[in-house]
Amino acid sequence: MKILRLFVSCLAVLGVLGALPVFLAGRASAEPIVIDHERGTLTLDHPAKRVAVTNWAFTETVMALGLDPVAIADPVDYREWVAKPDLPENFTDIGQRGSPNLEALRAAKPDLILISQELEMAYENLSDIAPVMVLSVYNDGNVAFDTASTMMRKVAKAIGREAEGEAYLKQVDEKLVEYGARVRAVLGDGNKITIASFYSETNIGVFGAPSLPGSVLKRMDVPMSYDGPVSKWGFARGGLEILAPLAKTTLVYTNPIPDVIYQKVWSSPMWKVMDFVRNKRVYELPVVWAYGGVASGLRFARLLAESLESGPVQ
Amino acid sequence: MSPTAHMNIKRVFPRTPTILLGVLALSCIGVLIADFWPFLQRGLAGQVILSPDETDFDQILFHYSTLPRLAMAFLCGAGLALAGAAIQTVLRNPLASPTTLGVGAGVEFALTIFILIAPASFAIFQEAFALAGGMIALGAVYLIAAKRGNATLWLILAGMIVNLLLQSGTQVLLLFNEQYLQSVFMWGAGDLAQNGWDATLFILPRVAIGMIAVLALSRPLDLLALGDETASSLGAKVTVLRLLILGFAVFITASVISAAGMIGFVGLAVPAALRIAGLTRSRDLMIYSVFTGGFALLFIDFMVRQFNGLGGDILPTGAATALFGAPFIILILRKARIIPGNQSDDQHSDQQIISKTGLSILLTVILIVGVVFSLFTSLDGNGFAVLGWTGPWGDSSLDIFTGRAERTFAAMICGAALAVSGTLIQRVGRNPLASPEITGVSSATALAIIIALAIFGVGQRADLMLVGAFGGIISLIVLLALCRKFNHAPHYMLLNGLALTAILGAIVRIVLTRSGTQTSMLLSWLAGTTYFTNMDEVMIVAGVTGVLLIVAIALRRPLELASLGTDQSVSLGLGISTFQFAMMLVAAILAAAATLLVGPLSFVGLMAPHLARVAGYRLAGGHLLGSVLIGVNVMMVAEWLARNILYPQQLPTGLIAALIGTSYFLILAARKR
Repeated sequence: MKILRLFVSCLAVLGVLGALPVFLAGRASAEPIVIDHERGTLTLDHPAKRVAVTNWAFTETVMALGLDPVAIADPVDYREWVAKPDLPENFTDIGQRGSPNLEALRAAKPDLILISQELEMAYENLSDIAPVMVLSVYNDGNVAFDTASTMMRKVAKAIGREAEGEAYLKQVDEKLVEYGARVRAVLGDGNKITIASFYSETNIGVFGAPSLPGSVLKRMDVPMSYDGPVSKWGFARGGLEILAPLAKTTLVYTNPIPDVIYQKVWSSPMWKVMDFVRNKRVYELPVVWAYGGVASGLRFARLLAESLESGPVQ
Repeated sequence: MSPTAHMNIKRVFPRTPTILLGVLALSCIGVLIADFWPFLQRGLAGQVILSPDETDFDQILFHYSTLPRLAMAFLCGAGLALAGAAIQTVLRNPLASPTTLGVGAGVEFALTIFILIAPASFAIFQEAFALAGGMIALGAVYLIAAKRGNATLWLILAGMIVNLLLQSGTQVLLLFNEQYLQSVFMWGAGDLAQNGWDATLFILPRVAIGMIAVLALSRPLDLLALGDETASSLGAKVTVLRLLILGFAVFITASVISAAGMIGFVGLAVPAALRIAGLTRSRDLMIYSVFTGGFALLFIDFMVRQFNGLGGDILPTGAATALFGAPFIILILRKARIIPGNQSDDQHSDQQIISKTGLSILLTVILIVGVVFSLFTSLDGNGFAVLGWTGPWGDSSLDIFTGRAERTFAAMICGAALAVSGTLIQRVGRNPLASPEITGVSSATALAIIIALAIFGVGQRADLMLVGAFGGIISLIVLLALCRKFNHAPHYMLLNGLALTAILGAIVRIVLTRSGTQTSMLLSWLAGTTYFTNMDEVMIVAGVTGVLLIVAIALRRPLELASLGTDQSVSLGLGISTFQFAMMLVAAILAAAATLLVGPLSFVGLMAPHLARVAGYRLAGGHLLGSVLIGVNVMMVAEWLARNILYPQQLPTGLIAALIGTSYFLILAARKR
């Protein structure tokens, strides 16, 4: 009997001990979540489960964390300009990123709305619907990949997926190192890389260090050529002559480019005499959102490595 | 009074045009020397022009970028100035030009649609499309102004209406294609950067053909300048000739804008300046315009190039040119006597269909029904939805209801403020095409907000409102200072406002091309949206509007006098100018208040008073109340449409209101024919 009693009490103790972590965890989640953002401090009693995203950097970040947003802005253009990851099956289309539809947003019953400073004028109106977090990846002098990582951590915290967030960021770091090595292998020693976008045949953007491509290249330990002045979005703009001082480097241009502009650039005499064109060091990048978050950064790195490995544009 | 307007240009010095041209030519030689210097030093100037060394990038850059840019600047400047001179002579209007008459905006709108929508295989139609856009815009302007005998002022005001509408249309297209903002918006701001000789070879034959045609027709033009009666008595087929010359002028403009984007004001400022300098014969004016325009743009573009790359960005030539050129309007205003044209016949020709009381009651009923309708119904993508009917009348329904109420009331208050503002301006200015937007106060308010937001990063809405109000007040002071000399003629205030609007528009463009992240938010706000408003602001503006409306109604008797037959009192020197100024001031404050609420554009201030008068509200007090009723109704409808026709996408309310307004004027013009 004594033994039986001892056995039972042992079981009870074990049971209590076993239940303790669950109990503590339960208590922990009841603690409010507090996050600093650009318009003050956000306090959430529970992790947000129904997140509304008002730009594509948030869309891909929330999805990378394993949660499907309930309301998404500009889903149709997303498929053309961001491409991956695929959008969830069910969500509410809230219209343009510049003015997400308040009624559609309300109907989606979000418990968290993510906006950047572009929508700051609507902060009060959006706050009536659900708690709002203002997080800008792109702002004066911000290093895009770093602020995108910070943004991801804050979003992860708000939706109670901090562990997933850290795991994702760690995995991204490893992948970036791997892709960096692959890019350097193709690039060879001493060669630098230039990332450019063709807005038109005479209007060209060159990404600088603060931009998403620029800051990802730094993480990949791939040398980047342009180090001049840049705009808020982290790129410089000019005519084709802006590429002239960078002609000795390897050029990678982004997509999508309208066919007409593509043809005009390639038939331009100035373009033809550029060293990277003559010596076939021009590469094409498939569609990737250059103003996105960490996920776009990772996608950029992967596509860059694949593009360089598959050879220059003929 | 004769329906035709005349220009009374004093001869300053006979030689002034030659001196002007000489100075510009010398400056351009300076520009060329500055550009060629590195090659002149090495004795390579000839080589770099004809066959550059393919291994020397400096030579390549010069041969394929700098040199064609110089050529383009000259050709565009020459073409636009000639087009301006031709349009000014044909329409006998010193303020006419491709940009002021909506041709530029029409071409830009057409090309923007084309770039965004047309598949690559349609590329050959691009030019025809651009040309059609310019022609349709000019036609619309002509149609609106035609029944006033195309008097100087009416043509310009009609041009302003069409311009603002088309520009906001272009901006909204960009709003829905945000990713192309960089390329299309830049092109819209007028960029002369070149990559080779393609663009030069594209526009050279077109501008040349256009120039030869216009110059060949310039002898009959001298007859035209004498007036319709004289010209037809001399046997010229006036209408055909006019249309032909206008057609070639639009052709030149369309070619230039297709190749280089919007380059404003060369076409207006150059010929007008030459006229002031003493050129009266059209043939001389044209030939001088070609060279003066070419040299002027070449020189301005050289200045602009020096600022390129500043802050990692481009300074668009077109917008910068507008900055250089817009002050010329003010100068022209001081030199050229402009006759505002005869008073509209609307007041007497329209029959009163229903009594004013009946109409007022009807409008009020429509208003009440409309408010209920717009608060309770919407299109939610699946079709018609009634609040609390299809969905449960739960907690969120009340929130949706208040949200809608906020925006609907904002639109309505804005409609009321602009209606009062417009009524005052139209009565005091004695011009039924005057609109609060063209006092320049709205643009100044908008500009202050845009600069605060885009350059200084002020994001809080309340702060922005303060900054905007401050900007509006400053522009008022500037406007009053500009008009000091012209207190006997209120229409000068409108024209000065127009110049102010143009200058501010150019600055807005430059800021927008550089502002990066907030451009899309600013674009939707510029077109007029209730999206960002809240109830507190609505209440404040409602209070201001209410008080000023009461003030205006209390002053209805002097207002009546001011709007009726003051020609005599003016000629006798019995100025009623203090009162006119006070009323203009009230109007400007109301316009600024409305701008703060929903942005700078709507046309309600133009349309509502006009409609009210046509509908029979003749006396000042009734006119004010009638136009308020109409303005409120129009904005209410526009607001509902803006929120619902493309659900979940939302259009700017101001754009819908502007569409309603312009359609109204076009229908009116067409029916009067």
